[in-house]
Amino acid sequence: MQGKCGLFFTSYRGEAQLFRSGFQKLMIGLLILALLAAPFVLNVYMTSVMNLIFISVIGAVSLNLLTGVCGQISLGHGAFIGVGAYAAGQCTLHGVPFPVAILAAGFITAMVGMVFGVPSLRLKGIYLAIATLAAQLVLEYVFLHGGEITGGSNGLLLEPPKMFGFSFDTEGKMYFLLFFCAAMALLVVSNIMRSKYGRAFVSIRDFYLSAEIVGVNLFWYKLVAFGVSSFLAGVAGGLWGHYTGYISGEQFNIGLSISYLAMIIIGGLGSVIGSVFGAIFVVLLPEVLNGLANGLGSVFPDLSLFLVALREGVFGLVLILFLVFEPEGLAHRWGLIKAYWKLYPFAH
Amino acid sequence: MRVGKIITAVSIMLVAGLMLFGCGGEEKKSAETSKDTSPIRVGGLVDLSGPTSSVGRPYAEGIKAGVKYVNEQGGIDGRQIEFDLQDTAYNVQQGLSLYKKMVNTDKAVCIQGFGSAVTEALIRNLAKDKVPNLSASYSAHLTDPKKAPYNFFSAADYSTQLRATLKYFRSNWKEDRAPRVAFIYPDHPYGLAPIPAGKAYAKELGYEIVGEANVSLKAIDATTELLPLKDLAPDFCWIGGTTPSTSVILKSAKNIGMETVFFTNIWGSDESLPTLAGADANGSYSNQAAAVYGQDVPGMKVIEKMTGGVPQMTHFSRGFVSALVMAEGMKRAAANGPVTGEAIKTSLETIRDYDPMGLAPLISYFPDDHRPNMAVFIYAIEDGKLTFVKGEILDRRAEWLGH
Repeated sequence: MQGKCGLFFTSYRGEAQLFRSGFQKLMIGLLILALLAAPFVLNVYMTSVMNLIFISVIGAVSLNLLTGVCGQISLGHGAFIGVGAYAAGQCTLHGVPFPVAILAAGFITAMVGMVFGVPSLRLKGIYLAIATLAAQLVLEYVFLHGGEITGGSNGLLLEPPKMFGFSFDTEGKMYFLLFFCAAMALLVVSNIMRSKYGRAFVSIRDFYLSAEIVGVNLFWYKLVAFGVSSFLAGVAGGLWGHYTGYISGEQFNIGLSISYLAMIIIGGLGSVIGSVFGAIFVVLLPEVLNGLANGLGSVFPDLSLFLVALREGVFGLVLILFLVFEPEGLAHRWGLIKAYWKLYPFAH
Repeated sequence: MRVGKIITAVSIMLVAGLMLFGCGGEEKKSAETSKDTSPIRVGGLVDLSGPTSSVGRPYAEGIKAGVKYVNEQGGIDGRQIEFDLQDTAYNVQQGLSLYKKMVNTDKAVCIQGFGSAVTEALIRNLAKDKVPNLSASYSAHLTDPKKAPYNFFSAADYSTQLRATLKYFRSNWKEDRAPRVAFIYPDHPYGLAPIPAGKAYAKELGYEIVGEANVSLKAIDATTELLPLKDLAPDFCWIGGTTPSTSVILKSAKNIGMETVFFTNIWGSDESLPTLAGADANGSYSNQAAAVYGQDVPGMKVIEKMTGGVPQMTHFSRGFVSALVMAEGMKRAAANGPVTGEAIKTSLETIRDYDPMGLAPLISYFPDDHRPNMAVFIYAIEDGKLTFVKGEILDRRAEWLGH
């Protein structure tokens, strides 16, 4: 038998490791391998669902950094994603290489996000929610009336991403690009969370007065939270725009902002893995309900229309059930499952 | 027992992996080439729930009836059309993933689309997959094959509709002064789309444009927006919204005593408008692209027979026409070889003056011009009924393509 009977650390560095045990590293490695092999196994439809999940993961983890970790609620996340989509679209339309365009989109969105983040110095909670809602509405107006920049009501048509002469023009190719970006986003946010900035964010979330007393510059850290979150939102937007090949203002409405909030609430506020679970859940739920409605529809033909209408209601019901029975989200449930198996079969 | 845990975990991963293998890789068989009697698969992406479902449902019923009719008449060269109707709920992401499933897994060769958000998000995918989409989003920019090569629709675009009514009113204008026109529309892509075209053509025809107002699609009152317009005394007022917002505008106009002739676009009024707006709807004009129930055209006899005399909305007729046009394209494709998406597209582009049994104006598509026609049916609401007034036809001007 080995000397230690569990995980314990003798240094802060050890405790702050992303993957603490060899087993965890092994599992992550296997997961990455499985994900890399997935597009060769899955059919095109399933690959496209995976692609939607990857984009949602980036959006969700960025919102979770702002709302879950730093405690600054944002109802304008959908619009920030839109800013990224338009910015990246305009860049590639003007001949900027795709990787540069995506980064530029991130920086432009970060700038916009920080502008709308300024009120966060004075506003908290529901007031900040309304201020960011204003950002959503203002940006939606800009998307629709942006003239040449946004294409107005006609929107913008984009080509699939091209990198070094290689065109990501199929679902399978897009899969690897999006997988890489999603993994990077998760890594970035995980690392921010265990840095000085991450701890400052958490202290602001938990109690802003205490944070200020111990020397956290509230304004600066809140702005950074808005900036980094918007940067990632911009990247998600740029990827979404180039993935669908078409962007219009309608895609980035308040509904999108709310669905991202739903993702982090379902997944678990302030948790990176929760963002992933939330994104998977929210993207898959309509697909599963659709499959169910179609399956039942073949048995009861007239029922399918009612089921279709029920779907929206089911989505709402699931949200309520989560808030009541799983307020800490899927991440918490995941922790419980892990704890159960850790002690299996001798739970004491 | 760490080793034991690792073994358990690896075996779980293996099982999970096997399950993934089991899920994937199925349904690789091609439906279109193997046998002549195999069904031709068509995907339907219509808003059956969500904000536009009140018009989406009758439209979808129309497509279904149209497909049934084509199948009863012997199908496409002996093959039946299999129509898989799915709900997009006016949600782009939903529409996108349904589309991927239809085209890649179910091997649909053609799409019957509906709302603008989903239709426009699919433009690039359609061109990539070579699958034509016959939609009910009549934005003019979808008619330019350079931008949207696989998009078709079977009614005149929004801009053409607005221009046609402007022309009709101008030709019936008797007074010496220039007629005054105002535009009321929601600040929404759908409402904004035809406005530049309408303003330009109104100027060309010698209208005086006196004003415009934004009334939201969700408005419950339009008095504030209409009061400034009332003082400008327009002779004609364009309403570019949906039926609920039109009814709000008509009622508010009546309340403030605004005397003007209202005319609406294709989604702005239908058979439900007199119910919603009551007597206030009378006297307003409506653009339509398909016959109303009970109209004396051959196609309506078919619809009446299929629906057992239960009145259907004009959206039903338009869905029916969309299915007929698609079937015509498929028949032409079948005559020249296998019915693929690309063949349907090129065949649709050979259609000249196709008559959908009188249900809609004659339809033609060209390889460089996907405008189905330049014709609009103008209806007036009289005594709570849509009454046919005139079919107005414009020139197919090259500079209007896509605008």
